[in-house]
Amino acid sequence: MMAALHIALRNPPINSKNPAIKERAQNVVLKVLTSFRGSDIEPAVKSLDKNGVDLLMKYIYKGFERPVENSSAILLQWHEKAFAIGGLGSIVRVLTARKTV
Amino acid sequence: MAYHSFLLEPISCHSWNKDRTQIALCPNNHEVHIYKKDGSNWNKIHVLKEHNGQVTGIDWAPESNRIVTCGTDRNAYVWTLKGDVWKPTLVILRINRAARCVTWSPKENKFAVGSGSRLISVCYFEQENDWWVCKHIKKPIRSTILCLDWHPNNVLLAAGSCDFKCRIFSAYIKEVEEKPAPTAWGSKMPFGEVMFESTGTSGWVHGVCFSDSGNRVAWASHDSTVAVAEGGKTAVCTSLSSETLPLLCVTFITENSLVAAGHDCYPVLFVYDSNNAALSFGGKLDVPKQSAQKGLTARERFQNLDKKASVDSKEAVLESVHKNSISQISILNGGKAKCAKFCTTGMDGGMAIWDVKTLESAMKDLKIV
Repeated sequence: MMAALHIALRNPPINSKNPAIKERAQNVVLKVLTSFRGSDIEPAVKSLDKNGVDLLMKYIYKGFERPVENSSAILLQWHEKAFAIGGLGSIVRVLTARKTV
Repeated sequence: MAYHSFLLEPISCHSWNKDRTQIALCPNNHEVHIYKKDGSNWNKIHVLKEHNGQVTGIDWAPESNRIVTCGTDRNAYVWTLKGDVWKPTLVILRINRAARCVTWSPKENKFAVGSGSRLISVCYFEQENDWWVCKHIKKPIRSTILCLDWHPNNVLLAAGSCDFKCRIFSAYIKEVEEKPAPTAWGSKMPFGEVMFESTGTSGWVHGVCFSDSGNRVAWASHDSTVAVAEGGKTAVCTSLSSETLPLLCVTFITENSLVAAGHDCYPVLFVYDSNNAALSFGGKLDVPKQSAQKGLTARERFQNLDKKASVDSKEAVLESVHKNSISQISILNGGKAKCAKFCTTGMDGGMAIWDVKTLESAMKDLKIV
């Protein structure tokens, strides 16, 4: 599962202007995030480096924009764990980033 | 560590005189108030009323004892003390948006004003006409200049801007000085030349500072990062993303240590290691108040759980000295090479003076290299 997370977060479509690509990437990441068990979330976030946590936050907020059935609850759990590691700074970086994921 | 609350309104900007007995500050209106230290009290001795808009920048030149102020009314005034009264001289900046920041150059023969008109006005005094003249640096600035700092050679100027870049310009004015010697940032320095432009950080650059030697420049950006660039054949940039809210002001206190403060209301220390080109977090520089730990009753605990879904007993009270964002930090003595005391002012209308030695002894792992 952790490997799936790392692979899903690799090569984010940051520089792309194609909305279809970004949509596909978002769906993949969301699928991985929702298939985690609650207790596995924390070690998974701990295994990411600083840039990884910032990237994860970007995907989480993108996921909040378009809620799908149960996605918001899972995303909130991920948000809590990512916030514990990344702090307010990671959220500020989501807001100030000019190139979105 | 001393804290004095001047006003209830935010302090927009401040500047100290040479012997640090007087402070000029703007209480978020069109005036500049000068306070003088009298034992442990501060008395207001002068009120400078000339601006028609909020005063956004004040700088007090230590040697020539002149104050330059700039404001949202697109003007700058140079004040000289005649007897017991401060007399203003208008400086035409030729800008059509508000001025945001102003600093005297190290030799005090020029000053630079950053403005919302996407340019920097470098002003110098022309003896023949008895008038302050200004020259503009326009390219390649794309947005408001938020902060400025001069290099010790009196020619290079670092500017942080809302177009997410920190740049070093040459502000060489041939009328008032000779050609400068080569520096780590380059050797050809015609007026307006860009010696360095930052890449890598995004977010408005709120604060910029040269180190004492001028070989390093640090800036604080709105994406909660601090970055340091070292001049050389190719400039080396290192940045650190922090877990805190964005920092608004930054200053070097030794060649390797920086203190920065911002929306988190407490100053923070960063250490730069030039061998590994790494910037690291040094510690939070705040003297925590010994808050009385009250036990929570069962009823309060349940209420907390019901209302906020939290089991913590942390109240929403700031434990730092400043109760609102810190907007400006200035060195009191020791210079940027070996600072012994620095001062912070903020949006809570208060000013705190921090002593580096007591901070070092108070925080156990703090090391100021």
